[in-house]
Amino acid sequence: MKLLTHNMLTSKCVKGVNVGYPLTINASDVRVADVDFNPDFISRLIPKIDWPVLYNAAESLGHVEDLPKETPVNYENNEEFLKKAHRALLEVEVVHGELVCPESGRKFPINNGIPNMLLNEDEV
Amino acid sequence: MSLQTPLYNLNDFPDVYEPSEDTHLFIDALEKDMKHIINSKPTLACEIGCGSGVLIAALAKILKSTCCYFCTDINPKACIATTRTAKMNKVPLECTRMDLTTNLKCKFDIILFNPPYVLTEELEIFGCGLNRAFAGGLRGRSVTDRLLNNLNDILSDNGVCYLLLLKENNIGEIGEKMGEKGFKIKLVIQRKIPGEHLFVYKFSKA
Repeated sequence: MKLLTHNMLTSKCVKGVNVGYPLTINASDVRVADVDFNPDFISRLIPKIDWPVLYNAAESLGHVEDLPKETPVNYENNEEFLKKAHRALLEVEVVHGELVCPESGRKFPINNGIPNMLLNEDEV
Repeated sequence: MSLQTPLYNLNDFPDVYEPSEDTHLFIDALEKDMKHIINSKPTLACEIGCGSGVLIAALAKILKSTCCYFCTDINPKACIATTRTAKMNKVPLECTRMDLTTNLKCKFDIILFNPPYVLTEELEIFGCGLNRAFAGGLRGRSVTDRLLNNLNDILSDNGVCYLLLLKENNIGEIGEKMGEKGFKIKLVIQRKIPGEHLFVYKFSKA
């Protein structure tokens, strides 16, 4: 699971949960993979990202490095920043661990990089 | 430009739907629409019910590092098979086990869905195994209708949803219903194979 995916995942569908976002990450195995950098794509992606959630997720995994707390102005032309965003969004991967719903405490296991968000019928 | 079927190996995955005529038709639809797909510059793509993962891998081969590729399946073996397909084709696929796109809060620029379209008893829609890859319930539309009812919320304003349908799914009625909701519906490709007349349609917000 990349932090990009974490940025999009919610547990809102759990019965009684209102927002279910962001999910807490408890990681037991985190890896950094090499992914092709495409500055145009990252520029298009950033407006769709909840940046503070990305920052906090990277920080909780010990991979925040020099990621800025806020997106700089005119980031489209700031390749240095786009590379940092690229790394946090696409290269840091949680291989094993769990996601935790911030409201219900429901845990969703992550195995081999695949989060299991499927609920039992009585939880929906 | 021709689009090759991505590599896959389902030897260890008897419970995952093996790419078949419908899958190949879907890949041909993506090939036919490739220019439009590239020109629309999608950022977020998602395949629902990815199975072996070859459809989203085919899309990733078109768009490469210009887009990100989410995929979902309720079958845990399909999720693992898809990550294997991703590795074999060297494409970055982000697979999560879930129902449809229930746990993803973003709106997608491209959605691919080759649903369980076969007409079956509603009772055949149970569990998370291979039966769920084809059992579509009455009219073969149980899962498709759940997606279409929600499409407005999960598709971006300029987004396109590619959907495979069977003649018996009553495509006319789907077109009418989605037209009323403000969707534009266009046939991309159709093919008759023994026993089935298959279509790939694309849905966009008009």
